Amino acid sequence: MPLTNDALWYKDAIIYQVHVRTFHDSNGDGIGDFPGLVQKLDYLQELKINAIWLMPFFPSPLRDDGYDIADYHSVHPSYGTLEDFRELLDAAHERGIRVIIEMVLNHTSDQHPWFQEARSSRNNPRRDWYVWSDTDERYKGTRIIFIDTEASNWAWDPISKSFYWHRFFSHQPDLNYDNPAVREQMWEVMKFWLDMGVDGFRLDAIPYLVEREGTNCENLPETHSILKDLRRKLDEQFTGRMLLAEANQWPADLRPYFGDGDEFHMAFHFPLMPRMFMGLKLEDRKPITEILQQTPEIPASCQWCIFLRNHDELTLEMVTDMERDYMYDMYAETKTMRLNLGIRRRLAPLLNNDRRRIELMNGMLMSFPGTPIIYYGDEIGMGDNINLGDRNGVRTPMQWSGGWNAGFSVAEPQRLYAPLIQDPVYGYAAVNVISQRESEHSLLRWMQRIITVRRSSDVFGRGSIEFLYPANHRILAYLRRLGKETVLVVNNLSSTAQAVELDLRRYKGNILIEMFGNNIFPRVGDLPYLLTLGPYQFYWFRLRRV
Amino acid sequence: MEDETFLTDDFLRQLINVGEVDLLVGLPTYNNAKTIGSIVGTIRSGILRDFPRERAVIINADGGSRDGTPGLVTGISIDDLRPTANLNALRTLHSISTTYTNGTGSGVALRTILAAAELLRAKACIVMSPESAKIEPEWISRLLRPIFRDGFDLVLPTYRRHKFDGLLMTNLLYPMVRALYGLRIREPYVTEFGFSNRLGSQFLAQNGWHNGNGGVGLELRFTLAAISGRYRISQSFLGEKEHTERRAADLVPTLRQTVGALFSALESDFPIWSTVAGSKQVPTTGPEQELLEGPMRVNRKRLREMFSTGVAELESVFQAILSPSTVGELQRIARLGEEEFRYSEELWVKTLYEFAAAYQRSVINRDHIIQALAPLFRGRVFTFLMENRNASANEIENNIESLCLEFERLKPYLLQMWKSRE
Repeated sequence: MPLTNDALWYKDAIIYQVHVRTFHDSNGDGIGDFPGLVQKLDYLQELKINAIWLMPFFPSPLRDDGYDIADYHSVHPSYGTLEDFRELLDAAHERGIRVIIEMVLNHTSDQHPWFQEARSSRNNPRRDWYVWSDTDERYKGTRIIFIDTEASNWAWDPISKSFYWHRFFSHQPDLNYDNPAVREQMWEVMKFWLDMGVDGFRLDAIPYLVEREGTNCENLPETHSILKDLRRKLDEQFTGRMLLAEANQWPADLRPYFGDGDEFHMAFHFPLMPRMFMGLKLEDRKPITEILQQTPEIPASCQWCIFLRNHDELTLEMVTDMERDYMYDMYAETKTMRLNLGIRRRLAPLLNNDRRRIELMNGMLMSFPGTPIIYYGDEIGMGDNINLGDRNGVRTPMQWSGGWNAGFSVAEPQRLYAPLIQDPVYGYAAVNVISQRESEHSLLRWMQRIITVRRSSDVFGRGSIEFLYPANHRILAYLRRLGKETVLVVNNLSSTAQAVELDLRRYKGNILIEMFGNNIFPRVGDLPYLLTLGPYQFYWFRLRRV
Repeated sequence: MEDETFLTDDFLRQLINVGEVDLLVGLPTYNNAKTIGSIVGTIRSGILRDFPRERAVIINADGGSRDGTPGLVTGISIDDLRPTANLNALRTLHSISTTYTNGTGSGVALRTILAAAELLRAKACIVMSPESAKIEPEWISRLLRPIFRDGFDLVLPTYRRHKFDGLLMTNLLYPMVRALYGLRIREPYVTEFGFSNRLGSQFLAQNGWHNGNGGVGLELRFTLAAISGRYRISQSFLGEKEHTERRAADLVPTLRQTVGALFSALESDFPIWSTVAGSKQVPTTGPEQELLEGPMRVNRKRLREMFSTGVAELESVFQAILSPSTVGELQRIARLGEEEFRYSEELWVKTLYEFAAAYQRSVINRDHIIQALAPLFRGRVFTFLMENRNASANEIENNIESLCLEFERLKPYLLQMWKSRE
């Protein structure tokens, strides 16, 4: 299946997020690699996803799982070579799968040669590639992001005897984007990968590129100016490529990152995700509809990226204190499940391994406006290991089978980069790809089905959304429309069966066709349309006038 | 559930939309537009502040208001249709209303609220008065929490009152219920109270909604049903009880609602109260009672005149109800001047016990018995006011306690009369 020429391909994409290290080990060293990933592309094709997002795979001391890059032009030797990466690109493209890679613009590893040079002396030509200060009193209005580990955004460099600025870990010094040479160099880095054929970048931590005194050093106009410049260069030199913004901000603050369609193509909708979990636990649609009501319109060529879980903690930065307390109490009863302002757990454990809730959450994800992202392993209901530090508990090896090392690697188990999940509920003996492939009713099969149905209509990726507000607040119902096509989505957020009356009078005369079974439901008339839904059940109906 | 068809289809549809709840606030209304806005606003604040995570609903049972009361109640709903700026609410808060047309009595309203509570499987419910001039958000928690968190079945309020407010309570209902049922419940007849689902369901199933007394004295009967059913009862101090307007409520209807209900219950509850001796404290959060001192305008002269006139005019009625010695004593004090007049504790208790026994025997029409009590109650009130006009709050509290003990001491007298009939 060749790639399409559609420049807006990202609007219809189903993105699969994967870390090379976690997916499949081809050479038996206990660490996943690019040849291993290539071997598993058929699986991803079977799953019906059409894009993969690779987490950082660059040379790195791996003190932040690769987000501390030491060389932007190469591949970490554990994962293979540049040639291996090229093979992945080709193999993916042959299967109609685009490849989005991570790009960390904001900072480097302190092991990066640029930083080593910069710290070597105050007169070094690269000194100004980072943000230095003789005092740690500058930019006091800036919040600390990793509050569990960092006490300040400044770190003391004993070599050059001055402070350097870092928004994340202290071993990740921020680049100085006021320096034109840095901006030019980072475009060259992006161009290097674009020339190779990558389809897009997920640009990490982009609100923090520029610092200014008297501000919170986030979302500054100067940052937007830099990003617009990158986009301009991208459009001038390439076609059909995509920029995805990682900016954990409120929707109103995110909106500028789309510009007038001249900045990012896509941005993550961070505040939506915790509210989906909140709405499910509260059995009340209010948190979800409210955040989507507050979500501003974006340019026609742009798209939200939505997700249930990812490689980080389930971030609770974009909720109120009351909501955060509620989320902690409901989803992270023990302190070890919490990290920074979030919850470091996978989807299935968060939902108590309740298949109905997992399906409902995925159903909402696939039917909300935006491009959905599936985090590797969530399609089979993988569990987590909260005894591993930081966010490593949700980054354990992919569970392919119930055999040796879950089919992930032939290495000795103790050589694996991380221990496998082995508990009775989520362990690889119980949860793995092979067994789910063989079961018609497995979660994996169900995921394949819902992705297929989602991809059967452009309305989900490109259509408008209009909420219906039935009096039953446990029911979340909305219409997705694109051109002449209308899809009605009805979700029961409740653990009990519910009846709901929907005002569909304007569609009088239409019949409803349930999209999973293609069964016909009664024609819409003058009366409210009565539906009953079982616990956590949802429907997607195509409306058709017959 | 017994015959829930009295709920309208529209109300049932609203209940379906609300679904199962944790907390239910019932609000019986009838032309309360002046006060209801502030009351429902306070209720909402109380829920948001103290129960932000719980599923809650406010249910208005309206007797056919023509002043827009139901709209004011439903208008405070929190949902995703009407943005509620500055309201930090986790979830939807439904506020729904139903109107009944077959009367404005509290019976239909309470029955509606109880039925809704059962259908919605509410874990903890409260009923709030639509007439309070002032309530505080914490009242909601104080009534709900003992049920929702601590497993009580009935929570009755205590208030900070003026020392001469609630004289029917202090001179009759509190001491008599205490002596007969053995529990020191300061406000057995209330318009604000909390109850559990199991108590509400039991009362809904057992109360004689279809006989003539279905709606009379429900609040007191609810309390007595909880006592006789051995449900867990507690009291919570709410704060100052302020009324919207000081109405000289007609005493006879009030007596029907209270004393009539009490006398009526004594019949069926005889196996329970006849075995009770003495009285026990009820678990109470906050003070049992706070009395405010200060002047209060009462026409004492008129009270005494009404007593004397009543004793004279109703002599034949009293002779049917009361013992000859009690009638004689009442006639004696009726002739006394204002300074000498004293309706003693003992005489008052004997009067009431003899009324209760007469009510049981139906010596005359039972409603006439209740009506006949009115002038005597005024005489007792006159004495209470005179004896306590310069008393401190503590002294009044001691006097009330003394009256209670007199009720307990003379309880065998009532039992003797009751058994002699049998």
